[in-house]
Amino acid sequence: MKLELGHIHIHDIQFDSVSRVENGTLFVNAEELREHLLEDENIQSVSFEIARPGESIRILPVKDVIEPRVKVQGSGGIFPGILSKVSTVGSGRTHVLKGAAVVTTGKIVGFQEGIIDMSGPGADYTPFSKLNNLVVVCEPVDGLKQYAHEKAVRLAGLKAAAYLGKLAKDVDPDEVEVYETPSLKEGIEKYPDLPRVAYVQMLQTQGLLHDTYVYGVDMKHSLPTMIYPTELMDGAVVSGNCVSACDKNTTYHHLNNPVVHDLFAKHGTELNFVGIIITNENVYLADKERSSDWSAKLAEFFGVDGVIISQEGFGNPDTDLIMNCKKIEAKGIKTVIITDEYAGRDGASQSLADADASADAVVTGGNANMLVSLPPMEKVIGHPEVANVIAGGFEGSLQQDGTIVVELQAITGATNELGFNRLSAR
Amino acid sequence: MILITNNPKVYDDPNIGCDKEFIDGSIKDVLVAVRDRIHIGHKLLSHPLSGSVKPNETPYKSILISKEAGNMDWDSLQIIENSIEVCEKFVRYPIKCGYNIQERLLADFSEVDYQLIVAALASAANK
Repeated sequence: MKLELGHIHIHDIQFDSVSRVENGTLFVNAEELREHLLEDENIQSVSFEIARPGESIRILPVKDVIEPRVKVQGSGGIFPGILSKVSTVGSGRTHVLKGAAVVTTGKIVGFQEGIIDMSGPGADYTPFSKLNNLVVVCEPVDGLKQYAHEKAVRLAGLKAAAYLGKLAKDVDPDEVEVYETPSLKEGIEKYPDLPRVAYVQMLQTQGLLHDTYVYGVDMKHSLPTMIYPTELMDGAVVSGNCVSACDKNTTYHHLNNPVVHDLFAKHGTELNFVGIIITNENVYLADKERSSDWSAKLAEFFGVDGVIISQEGFGNPDTDLIMNCKKIEAKGIKTVIITDEYAGRDGASQSLADADASADAVVTGGNANMLVSLPPMEKVIGHPEVANVIAGGFEGSLQQDGTIVVELQAITGATNELGFNRLSAR
Repeated sequence: MILITNNPKVYDDPNIGCDKEFIDGSIKDVLVAVRDRIHIGHKLLSHPLSGSVKPNETPYKSILISKEAGNMDWDSLQIIENSIEVCEKFVRYPIKCGYNIQERLLADFSEVDYQLIVAALASAANK
C-alpha cells in the first residue's frame, strides 16, 4: 500500500468572507463553518477563536486536536466509517494543511481535559503550541448526556477539520512525502537481510470518555487486528479519549504517529517495517488476556524479529502493556515499550502499576506528576475556572494573577506515550 | 460475580443484576475490601485502576470479582496490591478541590465509574 502525502505549509490563519488557502495562509469563513457544525441538533452554539504560535493565549479545557487533511486520489475519504464511507484508505494521495489544526474545547464533564499555552513555559510542553489553531468552542443543547455530548464535540472537530482539509484539494503542495508498505511476501523478498519489525499500538478503550474508533468501530468491541501504517495517515483511527490530557492520543497524534514516521524513516535501510497491530485496553481482565494473546499471535504470525509497543493512558493500561510485552517476548520477539510515568512529584515512586523482567527496554515520555507553573496569559479561550478541577490541578491551582500551578498531566500531549513530545532528556 | 463498589449509582441500579456489596468509604477502602476477598480465594475480574481519572480525583470505584472462591489467585493478588500501592501514592498529594462541594463534578465522576463498569459487565455477559 502506497500513499503520497502532499504537505501545504500553513504559516497563518485568519477569518475572512471566503474560506481558502492562499500563499500559506488559511482563511476561514466562520459563518459558513458554524452553519455546517450547527446541523448537529445536539449542538446549541458554536464559536471560533484563532490561536497562533507565540500569542499570549491559553486554551482549556482541550478535548481533541485534529489536522486538516483531504483525499485527493485513491479510495475512500478522510475519517472513514465516520465522515466518509468505510472504504479502505491509505493509498493514493492525501493533502495536509501542515502547521494548522482544529482544537475542540467544551466542558463535557466537570473535570479533566487539558491546557495548551501558545507561549511561555507551558508552550514548551505541548507540540500544539507550534500550530496555527482554529479553536472550536461547542456548547451542547440543555440536558445532553455525557456520551452524546462527547460524540457531538468529537464529530464537530472532525467535521471542522474535514471542511478545512477540503480547501487543500486543489492547492499544489510545498512538499510531497511517499510512504509504502509492501505485502509480507514482497517485503521478505525485497529485504531478506533486514530485521523485521512491527508496531503494536495500544488504543484507549475503557468506556465513557476513554474510547477510540477504528473505521468507526468502537475498538473495545474488536479483537486486535492489523492495519497498514498509511491508513492511520488518512484518519482510520479517531480519538474519543477525553481523559488524561498529558498521555492521551489526540486524533492529531494518530494522523502523525511518530513511531510510524520513524519506522518508515529506517524502512529498507536498517529494518523492514512490516505493519501495525492495533489492540485495545479494556477494563475486563479476560479481555486483556485475550487481546494480549492475540497481539502476540499476530506478531508471531508476521514472523517479526522485534516490535515496538506504545501505550495510551495510566493504571489499567499498564497491565495491558506488560501482558503484551511478556507474551510477545515469550515468542522470542524482542520488544521496546513506550510509556510515561506517574512517579510522584519527587520522581521517586514506582512509575507504573505493573512490571516484568521482560520489559527491559523502555522509553518514557516523562513524569506526569512533575509540577509546573504557568504564568498568566492575556487571553483565555474556554473555561479558566476549570483549572481548579482539571486533572493535575488542586485547591489553589488558579492563583489570583491568573498563574496556574499544575502537574504536567494537565498539559495536552506533555508526556505523550507515542513520543510526540517537544522536550527530551537527551 | 460480585460487584464491590462505593458508587451509589452503580449499587442502586436495578439493571445491574449481579451480587453487590456497598462499601461506605474511599477508593482505598474499596481496594482493600477487594484484596481481602482475593485473600480468601475470589478472583479479580475487572481492573482496579479502571479509567484515567486518578485515585486522588474521583471518589468512586467499582470492581468485579468472582463469586466462587478457590485457591488464592496470585495474578489477582499482584494486580490488587500494585493498585493499592498506586492509590496510596496519589492520595499523598492534595486532593483537587471541588468535587466534594460541587454536585456536578460528583455526578460526573459517578457517571464515568458507572460507564466503565457497565463496559466491563458487557464483556462479562458474553462469557
